[in-house]
Amino acid sequence: MAQVNWRLIDVDALDPDNAFPADLLTPQSPPVSLSEIQGIAQHCRQALQRGDQEGALKDALSYPPYGGDEQVKELHLQTVLEILSSIKQAEMSPILQRLHSGPEGSETVDVLMKYLYKGMARHNAGSTPGVSTHATGVSTVSGQGGREYGVAPSRGDGGGMSVLLSWHEKVVDLAGTGAIVRVMTDRRTV
Amino acid sequence: MSQSLRPYLKCVRSSLTAAMSLSDFASQTAERHNVPEIEAGKSPEVLLNPLTISRNEQERVLIEPSVNSIRVSIKIKQADEIEVILVHKFTRFLTQRAENFFILRRKPVKGYDISFLITNFHTEAMLKHKLVDFIIHFMEEVDKEISEMKLFLNARARFVAEAFLTPFD
Repeated sequence: MAQVNWRLIDVDALDPDNAFPADLLTPQSPPVSLSEIQGIAQHCRQALQRGDQEGALKDALSYPPYGGDEQVKELHLQTVLEILSSIKQAEMSPILQRLHSGPEGSETVDVLMKYLYKGMARHNAGSTPGVSTHATGVSTVSGQGGREYGVAPSRGDGGGMSVLLSWHEKVVDLAGTGAIVRVMTDRRTV
Repeated sequence: MSQSLRPYLKCVRSSLTAAMSLSDFASQTAERHNVPEIEAGKSPEVLLNPLTISRNEQERVLIEPSVNSIRVSIKIKQADEIEVILVHKFTRFLTQRAENFFILRRKPVKGYDISFLITNFHTEAMLKHKLVDFIIHFMEEVDKEISEMKLFLNARARFVAEAFLTPFD
């Protein structure tokens, strides 16, 4: 008993009345399975190969896997990043404009904003698998589930951050700081 | 300003502007206390999703918003060991004088070099856009400062080495 420094015990944390129920904090979302999200990824890649970047982006952003686990979210993030980096600088604004004016446009743009921040946060975790495969220049589909295919923003400066930063700039120009506020406040994380 | 610095700072500026919407909020766990919720971390419902903005692997900014305070942490570019030392000395110099800086946090968040803690009392006493300007200005200046210090250090080392070795010439 003498070992325990009882002055440092946080008694409030032990009080059941003070505990904030976790399910109130994050709204329930339907669970998303890995195969489902792989299907969407496949679909988007086909659209990309056809040269339909806008359709691919729209599809990827329409199904954010809120209810999925980490692996599902990571896979979908890679899909979105791949699409984003395949779009040329000059095409960003018109595509965004059309996305924003479409049905549920502002929702779509908010999801895009979530992915921009997540993409920037992800590279900080040191060498993620995506980064290391890229350092060797491998960007083909390898392994099952397509987990390793091109994450692919150009590795030139800052590992594709500049792509995300210029997307961010365009989104803020279009949707204002409100989009950022909604990223901060929305408990449904991508 | 270099080509990749501008979008980075612009992104930080808009994110800070969005995050710095603070209001007075008394603690829910302790009566008659008013603490920065982001530091206390006692009520998860008033903490918001943190935002990370990175320019490359070495340079990034972490913004942790909450209802009455935000914490802004900056990772300064460190290309080599000399810069690591210089950044450490420089941030140490500043944090030791945190009393006079108001928004400076005394200790950086883990993984970052320097942190600012802005509460609703700061945004009430100071202009919000000026606070954002200050942080952006700091980020611009600190890079310049560090590379200047490095140049100066190298020049001095060269001079000392020359002066030291002349008798052996």
